[in-house]
Amino acid sequence: MVASSMEKFRSISPAEFFYRNKEIAGFSNPARALYQSVRELVENALDATDGHGILPDIEISIDRHPEKPFVYRITVKDNGIGIPAQYIPEAFGRVLFSSKYVLRQSRGLFGLGAKMVVLYGQITVGEPAEIVSATIGSKKVYMYRLAIDVKENKPIILHKAVWPNVSNWHGTIVSVTIEGDWGRSRQKILDYIKRTAIVTPYANITFRTCDGEVLVYPRVVNTVPPPPRESKPHPHGVDLEMLKAMIADTTADTLLKFLVTEFQGVGEVTAQRFVQQYGFDPDKNVKELDSEEVERLAKALREYTEFRKPRADHLSPIGAELIKVGLKQILKPEFVEAVTRKPVVYEGHALIVEVGIGYGGAIPVSDEPMLLRYANKIPLLYDEKSDVTWKVIEDIDWSYYEIEFPAPLAILVHVCGTKIPYKGVGKESIADVPVLEHEIREGIRHVARALKLYLVHKQREEEAMRKAYTVLKYIPEIASALSVFAPANPEKVGCAGSRKQAL
Amino acid sequence: MSSMFTSKIDQKVRIASAEKLGEKFAELVKAVLNNEEPKMVIPKRTLSNTIYDVERKLLLLGPETFERRLLDVREARKFMQTVLMAKIIYEALMNNEYPTIRDLFYRGKHTIRYRTHKGTVVEENTWDEQKESDAVLRDIEVFVGLLREDMLILSKEKGKVVGDMRIRSGDDVIDLSRMGHGAYAIEPTPDLIDFLDVNAEMVLVVEKDAVFQQLHRAGFWKKYKAILVTSAGQPDRATRRFVRRLNEELKLPVYILTDADPYGWYIYSVFKIGSITLSYESERLATPNALFLGVSMTDIFGDKNKKPYLSEAERRNFIIKAKKADLKRAQELLNYEWFKSEKWSREINIFLQKQSKLEIEALTGKGLYFLMDTYIPTKIQTGDFIS
Repeated sequence: MVASSMEKFRSISPAEFFYRNKEIAGFSNPARALYQSVRELVENALDATDGHGILPDIEISIDRHPEKPFVYRITVKDNGIGIPAQYIPEAFGRVLFSSKYVLRQSRGLFGLGAKMVVLYGQITVGEPAEIVSATIGSKKVYMYRLAIDVKENKPIILHKAVWPNVSNWHGTIVSVTIEGDWGRSRQKILDYIKRTAIVTPYANITFRTCDGEVLVYPRVVNTVPPPPRESKPHPHGVDLEMLKAMIADTTADTLLKFLVTEFQGVGEVTAQRFVQQYGFDPDKNVKELDSEEVERLAKALREYTEFRKPRADHLSPIGAELIKVGLKQILKPEFVEAVTRKPVVYEGHALIVEVGIGYGGAIPVSDEPMLLRYANKIPLLYDEKSDVTWKVIEDIDWSYYEIEFPAPLAILVHVCGTKIPYKGVGKESIADVPVLEHEIREGIRHVARALKLYLVHKQREEEAMRKAYTVLKYIPEIASALSVFAPANPEKVGCAGSRKQAL
Repeated sequence: MSSMFTSKIDQKVRIASAEKLGEKFAELVKAVLNNEEPKMVIPKRTLSNTIYDVERKLLLLGPETFERRLLDVREARKFMQTVLMAKIIYEALMNNEYPTIRDLFYRGKHTIRYRTHKGTVVEENTWDEQKESDAVLRDIEVFVGLLREDMLILSKEKGKVVGDMRIRSGDDVIDLSRMGHGAYAIEPTPDLIDFLDVNAEMVLVVEKDAVFQQLHRAGFWKKYKAILVTSAGQPDRATRRFVRRLNEELKLPVYILTDADPYGWYIYSVFKIGSITLSYESERLATPNALFLGVSMTDIFGDKNKKPYLSEAERRNFIIKAKKADLKRAQELLNYEWFKSEKWSREINIFLQKQSKLEIEALTGKGLYFLMDTYIPTKIQTGDFIS
């Protein structure tokens, strides 16, 4: 099972890189860089494990540099599928090398997170990155010390070691030294790991900070949600640049074959009708289309309405049950509910919204709900107030759901899909796309209704208890008073009957 | 034994009351033992359940009752307070004690500590103010049908009496004509008094203690063959009961002298027909034959057929301007059924029109002997009073 989902590794051109990742950010200052580096490495570790059906064991540690101030060594160890030895230098030492070109829901959408961390470390500190890895069933464990030749954009192998894999281990350990600011990023990093733990209750996560604190989030369930699968792009989700790349890549010789084999939602009959309607020659070699024709094709693909709807079965939502388990385990609320909405389509990509709610218990009372946002299982920590979810939460009349702020309320919103409509370059907040806003609103309403039912029921019970106690509290006093009037030797009576009446 | 020194009359009442109280509350015990909800059916002591009996000229408790149930969240606390009060009274009766209502309040007052369903420990007092314990005491009086005097609960003595008569109080005979400059303080249990012999033709009740003392020293009761009583303000139950017995048992006419203001008039009406809060006792406390001697508005201002007792100059000196509260109270009196007679309407309307009031002391100010030898005798002889 694991072997079948081996990663595909290939190079993409620098032009493509800039095109696809023009919104890159996240290393703007030392505090943010430390947070971003931890994030990138943890997300890679999770993708290497739960992305392949493995129950994750993740160990994260941050150590202060023994001499240099504001320099930290970040080490992340996973028990994932590992990286084949021959790919390790490329995977960490050449920017733009990516396994994530194909469409698939995964955490690190850029597919270059680790490389950015290595590069950033090299620029700010200059110590080599160390990577230890073994693939599943590998007889050997490989270790590389790498730097990046920035000019040539290729890895420099400073040291390589191989040793026998006696314990049959598989996984990857990445260790990078970067300039950072623990004091200013500590809270965000702790939040990030806690929120990650909420949506991965099937993972063991251990985090050792440079203050010597050890945080352990133990595994509470033993089931991994089904890994996301690769899917072909839907015609509505393909733009000109992507279409050009697909044409260059395809083995199909005719336009018709290209449409049928490279896209989802396009069958033989649909393809025939499509080329007919737009006047394309179905038998033309797709690689011989001129640029004007390719442009026309790209436009037509997005316009044509007869394609089947984009499929969502390749997506991997967390699942309502796991969300409930995670919220319960980490936030310890008295009430928890979650829902996974049906897939919807946004610009040719399937999206699934999941919402969880936690109330009471250890959740701190606050003037506004604690909001836990996720996109493809990544916690979003910045720019909360500009996120579409915040807008929805502000619009909701919470008093309808029996909630008066300040209240101990937590709301979790997870959006997963092959294309998330992020707002801005930081990829930290999601734009208010109508279809998404609707899904989030309906999801929150659904779980809030369940909470309302619970609260109303609880109030009724409390009211009954309160009533019972307004009587019960006087019983000893009354018994003592009435005993004065009781016959000398009263019979002993059972009190079950009276108690039933009282309650 | 403490009972060795208490009077035999007390002991008899004590045993009878304890028995009656015990029987009534044993019913609650029986209900509990039968797995039934204990409840008390109590006559309502509200204005709406206070009825003015026109024929008998009495304020009476109406027929309405309410249930005080343990399992009613609004009544549970009162239920607890009622049985607590019953227990204290019962124990006092059994122990030969004479508690005052203040004593009852202190004996019952303590803190109940309990754990709520949420686990917090909460404290609550059985009662916080004497108002609460007084209220359940009244409930017990109407519930059991025993007055507090019957249960040997004492209150402060307020009323005083002098006159040519002998009574037996406890095991002693007291001559009310030999009280010196003092007077006999009417005991809280006037029903335990025996009237032995009397030499009087009327009863004069004076609202003001100071006026009572002056008339006493001036020998009013000797000269006019009167039993002289003061309530020293609002009459307590004992004074009312004592006056009632003088009228009912000795057939003496009762004249009442109060200030000329709405409060004085209400004092008269309390003597005559009873009070709203104690309407359940009117049958025993009220003196329906009591007559309002004065001071009336026409005494001050005169009338078509009547010369005023005060001259223009005296009026200027003695009259006090009525306060807002006085006027408001007068308006309230106009609404009471028992003030709706022709004479009272006229009195109250003159008051509202003149907005003036007068204290009895004004008449002694004009001269003690004017009050004693002119005002009172003239009014009685000419029948110038309101009945």
